[in-house]
Amino acid sequence: MAEHARVYLRLAAASVRSTARRPAYLAARTVAAALIVAIEVAGVVLMLDRFGSIGGWRPPEVVLLFGLAFTAQGLALVFGDTLEADKMSELVRRGTFDQVLTRPASPLGWVVTSYVDTRFLGRMLAGAATVVWATDRAGVTWTPGRAGLAALAVACAAAIIFGVLLAAAGFTFVTVQASEAVNVFIYGGQYLASYPMQIYGSVLRFMFVWVVPLGLAIYVPALGVLGRQGPPGLPGWLAWLVAPVAGAFLALGGLAWRAGIRHYVGTGS
Amino acid sequence: MRAYLALLRAGFRRQTSYRLALAAGLATNAFFGVVRTAVFYALYRERDQVAGLDVADALTYVWVLEGLFAVVWAPWFWELAEAIRSGEFVAELLRPGDPYLRLLVFDLGRTLSVLATRTVPTLTVASLLLPLRLPGTLGGLALLGASLVLAAVVSFQLRFLFGSAAFWTPDYRSLFMLVFPVLWLASGFVVPVDFFPAPLRALVDWSPLIPLLMAPVRVATGAAGVALATQVAWVATLLLAGRLVLALASRRLVIHGG
Repeated sequence: MAEHARVYLRLAAASVRSTARRPAYLAARTVAAALIVAIEVAGVVLMLDRFGSIGGWRPPEVVLLFGLAFTAQGLALVFGDTLEADKMSELVRRGTFDQVLTRPASPLGWVVTSYVDTRFLGRMLAGAATVVWATDRAGVTWTPGRAGLAALAVACAAAIIFGVLLAAAGFTFVTVQASEAVNVFIYGGQYLASYPMQIYGSVLRFMFVWVVPLGLAIYVPALGVLGRQGPPGLPGWLAWLVAPVAGAFLALGGLAWRAGIRHYVGTGS
Repeated sequence: MRAYLALLRAGFRRQTSYRLALAAGLATNAFFGVVRTAVFYALYRERDQVAGLDVADALTYVWVLEGLFAVVWAPWFWELAEAIRSGEFVAELLRPGDPYLRLLVFDLGRTLSVLATRTVPTLTVASLLLPLRLPGTLGGLALLGASLVLAAVVSFQLRFLFGSAAFWTPDYRSLFMLVFPVLWLASGFVVPVDFFPAPLRALVDWSPLIPLLMAPVRVATGAAGVALATQVAWVATLLLAGRLVLALASRRLVIHGG
């Protein structure tokens, strides 16, 4: 295992070095990824300030959700970008994945570490900055417990998004063709989890608390960070469930990935 | 004229053949639309009107946005730039007729297909389920249709200008990535521009981004006159700008061969 870890680290370092060969391009991509977060947050703040509150939450409290969701999404995509449908489909169609399977490394380890995209570090850092700004505006005093809850939200939501990416990639082995439908969960899920869960109807809420538990992973820890009581059906103590549920979701994603590989037949090219 | 009509039809048919992508696109639009609808219902729970918009206006904005998304940010955004970089574009300049018009007509064929398969169904279903503010008369609906087509034309014209950056630099994508966040906000795709502070809103209202989304929303919600005039004025201005850029670029075109 330690031997493998060294190989993966070298692969990751090589992929970062290859993008760093064009520093201007890398910088532009990273800055742009951060800018899009800043702009999205700015727009939402402009709108929320006009209204004053949503679902009983003040604008900076909502912005905390945005920050946590963007940070988690950035973290998941730094490693999982290659698992997105269009890129995975290309690996399969070009036959690159045939070679991956013959290598003495786990296919997942290879795919993840060979194409690390530092662009999403920009998204992650801008998300983290948003969290700091929002909690300052909301008057949150940071304690180790609250910092722990914020970290829990980011780590678990990232694990869930990674699980979605894994399952979608497993699916791509079977269909070969890329389907953008998975974006509903990766980008749509982030958008949905950026607003307090009480504004959604019961179907959406159930879907994103218990099926693709992004809402559970972002919203429930955020209640603790803000010192708020949850709405009926979503009490703050559910935070204890976030890590096991996210872990289970990630494991299911891993199973789907393995099932996909078992069905992989190549494209003959 | 017949050639241009054939190009229009070819563009339409080309886009209509992507069935799976169409289904995935419709699902994505529906999902984001539902979430945005929930957000606006929650925002308007205790207020009737904010910045001149009521909940019906806001919901109309949401579903026009979802309907127009794939028209404005067309999935083939970089095709022109890639053709310029690879050198294939030179064939465009050798074909008979006017290159700008040919590109425009073919692109319009594709965007009309998106309008027919995504925008119209999305808006129709949404208007049956939600209290949208859409024109109630045939004349009003015709104006809305014209506004949607004008949005598609301006979308091509702006994409053409961004794509032409490839005549000057192979790094056109980095440049665009840095500008994109501003376009995204100023065109109203994050929140309606009506919610911007007055000076910013005045600035944005005079930009060529308004015809893409906010003008069709205004035509739908009843302020058709000014919005349509703005769209027509920008189509004319961008037509001149596009032709100027093409003339300048053709003079200094270097074909990277291989």
